[in-house]
Amino acid sequence: MKRSRMLGRYALISPAAMLIFVFMLLPMLLMALMSWLEPGQFGGVKWGNYTPEAYVKFLFDRDLSDVLLFDTDYLSIFSRSFQLALVTTVLTLLVAFPVAFYIALQTPKHRTWLMLLITIPFWTNLLVRTYAWILLLRNGGLIDSSLHSLGVTATPINLMYTPIAVQIGLIYAFLPFMVLPIYTSLEKLDWRLLEAAYDLYANRWQTMRRIVIPLAAPGMVAGCILVFVPALGTFFIPELLGGAKTLMIGNLIQQQFGVSRNWPFGAALSFALLAVVLTFMLIYALRFRGKGTLTQ
Amino acid sequence: MGVSARASKRTPYSATRRAGFGVEFALKMTADANALVIQNIGMVFGSGVGAITALEDVSLTIGSNEFFTLLGPSGCGKTTLLRLIAGFEQPSTGSISLYGQHLEGLMPFERPVNTVFQSYALFPHMSVSQNIAFGLEMQRKPKLEIQKIVADMLELVRLTGFEARKPAQLSGGQQQRVALARALANRPKVLLLDESLSALDAKLRKEMQLELKRLQLETGITFVFVTHDQEEALTMSDRIAVMKNGKLEQIGTPTEIYDFPRSRYVADFIGETNFLTGIAEANGLRLPDAQLLEVLHSRPLGANVDVAVRPERAQITQEGAGLNAVVREVVYVGTDTVVYLEIAAEVFRVRMQNHGGAAKIVSVGEQIKLVIPPDAVRVLEAES
Repeated sequence: MKRSRMLGRYALISPAAMLIFVFMLLPMLLMALMSWLEPGQFGGVKWGNYTPEAYVKFLFDRDLSDVLLFDTDYLSIFSRSFQLALVTTVLTLLVAFPVAFYIALQTPKHRTWLMLLITIPFWTNLLVRTYAWILLLRNGGLIDSSLHSLGVTATPINLMYTPIAVQIGLIYAFLPFMVLPIYTSLEKLDWRLLEAAYDLYANRWQTMRRIVIPLAAPGMVAGCILVFVPALGTFFIPELLGGAKTLMIGNLIQQQFGVSRNWPFGAALSFALLAVVLTFMLIYALRFRGKGTLTQ
Repeated sequence: MGVSARASKRTPYSATRRAGFGVEFALKMTADANALVIQNIGMVFGSGVGAITALEDVSLTIGSNEFFTLLGPSGCGKTTLLRLIAGFEQPSTGSISLYGQHLEGLMPFERPVNTVFQSYALFPHMSVSQNIAFGLEMQRKPKLEIQKIVADMLELVRLTGFEARKPAQLSGGQQQRVALARALANRPKVLLLDESLSALDAKLRKEMQLELKRLQLETGITFVFVTHDQEEALTMSDRIAVMKNGKLEQIGTPTEIYDFPRSRYVADFIGETNFLTGIAEANGLRLPDAQLLEVLHSRPLGANVDVAVRPERAQITQEGAGLNAVVREVVYVGTDTVVYLEIAAEVFRVRMQNHGGAAKIVSVGEQIKLVIPPDAVRVLEAES
């Protein structure tokens, strides 16, 4: 390639590169540095006092005589977060696939309308919508009172401030992120392949399993990443719907920068989370290397 | 078996399908030598004012081991008829039976019929072998048997060595052959081919025409082929059905269709033809310019009659008897020389074979005699 054209290309991407550097890489480097510092007394950090203490605190507890004891408190918060995120991913996948499939089967005009309906929730703030769920889920709320008046339940359902409430909130919040990529891959599907499968003695279920799902796999994988990663780090849904009993990583991190005033620990938790997510992504990338290119 | 339980309530032999119905179906076959009997099929898409009639009262019988072609321009209903046989559509009226077995209400996957699609519709995420094995796997054939059939099929379509390729890594002709192998691997009672050669270039298409004919003879399977290409139809078919606006226009062998076209539509669609119109007289037709074209016919005297004459059946001569005509153009086309004449204000083509160098030259504007043997004139049915 000619030198001038190379330069031209760099010139084109430089604004984006600058933006990523200033607003993403720089803050992250700052946080990485912070995680190896001592916490300041009223928040912030003591610059120049380097210590691995924040990372030690993640796995160990220091008893009165300064002996390190292995401690699973924070790990259990991590594992609970993973469970909630995983269940959210699986359930949104199960709900979103039929929805996306149904939309893809409609006439183009119809499809546009249905996709608009899917994206309508984005028009209002998620925080407001999560508050709306409180009104639905709380005792004496819409769900409780209608179940009661129908005679299904005699006592209050006590749904608020439980892991189930958090789970419902997460599924609600992330469902569109699963529908959109799956729909995109199904929309491109050549429906004549389904006829070909029928012609070759595959019934509806076999056609779905052998033809539709493999061809929609890239969209399903994209949807899973789009749901799993943000669901793992979310903090205000468990905060609002789960109360103190259902702490997730996001809440923990937020607390360190807020009430606990331990910024280095908050930064260390963030990097621990990042490490786990990147590990999963790496495993996925190695496992499915090159597979996406064969579906064209 | 759980999966097919629901289907088996509705259909008589879907339960036996899993066991590989090649055998089962054969047991249920009647001694009928006709592969397909299509009776009074009508097909209407939509309803009310916007309804479109795709097929109207189509009846035909296709024999066992026959290479049968449905020929017609796009929109004539030939592909609809094929899709009805495959089971992708249900007819509005009429019935289709396969070796005496009615196909009503059977899903495509319950019919021992396979299709080679116009777009090939190969599964893009599967290799060539996986594509060919698909139908056999769905029928729960043993693994070893599948492997053997796949190898045989690849040999049959001359693609041995391409097992692991993905469809995207194949040329159009190779994809076409994989589609064929995929369908033939199931040993269908009837193979349906939907414009299967139209996506290929001219040279490859010629090769594949011969290949298809070879495969049909080797496998002994009934082929129902849909095309809009008359030359393709003439080359491969045992019999041809010419279709027009959802109706059958004429059914016959390629020679019958070419030599004895029933209507102006068929004569025009198949090959090159000259048309002349005249008033019926006792021993011929009186052309508009008062000349008499000799022909045997059974039309009432005084009726308006259309006739067709193939360009290669007429001759021109400079002296002797014949109809008066004027040479308008002489075109050399390699194997032949085509002379465009003007007779009774109509253009009339005469095609003469060249035997080394151009045929006897006539010059533009020359008055010559046109000789049409009476047995070369086809009297056409009056247009409805």
